[in-house]
Amino acid sequence: MRLPFVTLAWTLAALAPTLSATPSIAKDDFVLEDEVALCMSCHGEDGIPIEPEYPVIWGQEYFYIYTQLRDYGAGRRENDTMSAIAAEYDRDQAKLLAEHFAALPWPELPVVYQEGDQQLAEKGITRGQCSACHGKWQGDSRIPRIAGQQPHYLSQTMHDFKNDVRMNAPDLNSTMKQLDDETIAALSRYFTTINVQ
Amino acid sequence: MFNRSATAALCVAATCVSGAANAQEETSASTLYGDLQSVTQNMLSRAAGDGNNFLHTNGNYEQTRYYPASQINTGNVKNLRPAWIFQTEIVDTMETSPIVVNGIMYVTTAFNHVYALDARTGKQIWHHKHAMGPVTTYCCGPNNRGVAVSGDKVFMGTLDAKLVALDAKTGKQLWETQIAEAELGYSETMAPSVVENMVLIGTNGGEYGIRGFVKAFDTETGEEIWTFHTIPEDSVGVWATHDATGRDMLRDIEAEKAALAEMGDPYETLGGGVWQNPAVDLDTRRIYFVVGNPSPDLDGSLRPGDNLYTDSLVAVDLDTGEYVCHFQYIAHDVWDLDAVSPPIITTVADAGGNDVKGVLHAGKTGHVYVHNAEDCSMIRFSEAMVPQENMWVLPTAEGARMLPGANGGVEWSPMAIDPNHRLSYAINLHQPMTYTVKSTPYPEGKLWLGGSFDVIPEEEQWGNVTAVDYDTGDIAWQVRTAEPMIGGILATAGGLVFTGEGNGLFKAFDSSNGAELWRFQAGAGVNAPPSSYTVEGQQYVVVAAGGNAQLNFKRGNNIIAFTLAD
Ligand code: HEC
Ligand code: HEC
Repeated sequence: MRLPFVTLAWTLAALAPTLSATPSIAKDDFVLEDEVALCMSCHGEDGIPIEPEYPVIWGQEYFYIYTQLRDYGAGRRENDTMSAIAAEYDRDQAKLLAEHFAALPWPELPVVYQEGDQQLAEKGITRGQCSACHGKWQGDSRIPRIAGQQPHYLSQTMHDFKNDVRMNAPDLNSTMKQLDDETIAALSRYFTTINVQ
Repeated sequence: MFNRSATAALCVAATCVSGAANAQEETSASTLYGDLQSVTQNMLSRAAGDGNNFLHTNGNYEQTRYYPASQINTGNVKNLRPAWIFQTEIVDTMETSPIVVNGIMYVTTAFNHVYALDARTGKQIWHHKHAMGPVTTYCCGPNNRGVAVSGDKVFMGTLDAKLVALDAKTGKQLWETQIAEAELGYSETMAPSVVENMVLIGTNGGEYGIRGFVKAFDTETGEEIWTFHTIPEDSVGVWATHDATGRDMLRDIEAEKAALAEMGDPYETLGGGVWQNPAVDLDTRRIYFVVGNPSPDLDGSLRPGDNLYTDSLVAVDLDTGEYVCHFQYIAHDVWDLDAVSPPIITTVADAGGNDVKGVLHAGKTGHVYVHNAEDCSMIRFSEAMVPQENMWVLPTAEGARMLPGANGGVEWSPMAIDPNHRLSYAINLHQPMTYTVKSTPYPEGKLWLGGSFDVIPEEEQWGNVTAVDYDTGDIAWQVRTAEPMIGGILATAGGLVFTGEGNGLFKAFDSSNGAELWRFQAGAGVNAPPSSYTVEGQQYVVVAAGGNAQLNFKRGNNIIAFTLAD
């Protein structure tokens, strides 16, 4: 069980002078239920996203969801859809949303698998030393859960890292450049086969 | 059972005699098994001669990992069998050093669970699960390397950067202290150390823009007593161009000086974690520890200067935390070939062949460095224990191959020594890697490697166990292993060293010549330091088999205690 997260002294901005000011304008008339309904229109009423390119956020790590919303809002991670949505929330609102989705159960998605995926994936995992940070792919705090995530989304975001489109975790840009497209495809399918705990 | 003649024939007479004598010395017949007797300072101070308990992460304050009992020895180790197996709730990476006090064992797991076990039977006495905060920021797996014990308390550092004190009898939490802010990249995986009224602990975080430290806290209240910043406000140093072994590190000093003039001293986000326990010298009241890499790991452009005291051996005053001396192995490191394996205090030969108090450290570079404890100066460094190639090629945008890879050499794994053979025992990795640099400003409390280290999967990886004569720096013996080695090693007065491998093998070697004398398949990676203890006259060797996140060795959840078959 994770404890509900209420207050945190955010001193990061002060410590990182290189960052541009992050937006802290609150969305007016913020009603959690209404916002959640908006999110669900894409990320799914039952946790299964409506499009294969949309990530699962039900049961994702609280702190990861929160940092992604902040990153979209501040332009550190850019996406036509999410940037505009996230820019509206202040920290507390982003935390409420993160708390809400982190507490929901991770949905079960179909396993997709092709012959040879595992070998290719394991080679990629060795090369990138992924397990040093991702362990058994279940996620923890800053580290997103990847086991059972949508393969189309994973493939896309790994390519976004590789092609310097997704810039909010700069070390992963280097890591993903070491992986060829076949390995990325195999990895994103392989992750659907890992049991979600 | 105990084959006297075989033992005598196999080891130097002095070793066996002094070992056995030590073991007898403190083996008190009146020690009741399982009496949960509190741990006195006298017990902690005399741990090196205590053949019953295992009271410190690395055996004793000097951190020799030399266990003075010899009931299990070269002659009978072939009869070593599991006495019991305890399975924890957490099937994940295990790095715990079991601590044993009067028949009670304390072990920890990933995500900060603590168990007290009956060391004779493996039966659980209590289980404490840390109430983890929602924000944890750590590198290299949700590890924990064990507890410290003192009085009737058990101390542990947590992934959410707290220090907790538990009641040794019940496992109930007595107090907790926030050591540093988890959101900023601080976390704890090391076991604390206790000296008198102080709990000593460093911090992880060199993979984030932290400012490292070692802190002392009051054992009774958890209040801070002192802090030593591993990164001084003037971190520039002497613009060293060569490493401790005399090799050119290819620094562009002019460019660094220009960067310094422009951006100022980078000390606030310069990293310098401390991953392992300090060695404690009660005579001089100093502690010796090693400081890890500068942040960001691979990108030197954002941190001009020598980046003091990263990649260094440092001594500070035990009572005040004031600086005493340091020795930097690699100035302005851009390979993460830092200093993590805990230092050892022992008598060594100086350059003139005279015995002096020395400090040993095994580097990720693959060298054992031998220092004079007086002023931290280096007396010698050993032959390289692993292949070194292309040192020190600078990381590039495409990735430059260099050996050793960024995990070493010797990772955080503690060494052991046998002071009779005057040998140190280290476990090593051989993992060819490329070093890639990509400069980015600090991404707000997120990982900040400044690039990546990537294993070259087509190249073979392996490991070894290496004995080094620290009086000469020569390799005395070396045994190759199938897997890169991470975990730790234990030497005993029985003429043995014990160490485990990622493929589940746990082995005993003859400490004088490296002959393999015994092995056991544990079913999951044995990547934790072994301990030994004696209960009711029976010696045990215990180790965790939980695999390793960093090297992705098969996970498990076992604590396995071995003893001689009847
Ligand atoms: C119009 C559709 C849409 C809506 C509405 C929407 N999202 Fe998203 N969301 C996306 C898409 C598409 C992505 C992937 C973007 C990318 O690749 O960066 C995404 C990504 C995310 C991520 C990053 C997940 C990860 O694994 O990195 C989070 C967190 C998230 N959304 C939360 C929310 C929340 C909270 C809301 C409601 C406030 C919301 N989204 C509303 C489409 C939507
Ligand atoms: C040094 C630690 C580290 C290593 C090594 C690492 N990752 Fe990550 N990874 C992270 C962190 C931290 C994040 C979250 C980044 C953020 O905050 O946006 C992440 C994010 C991801 C994501 C995005 C998930 C999502 O929901 O958007 C994927 C996919 C991923 N990693 C896959 C991998 C793979 C595959 C490897 C090995 C080839 C790897 N990672 C190696 C730390 C690491």
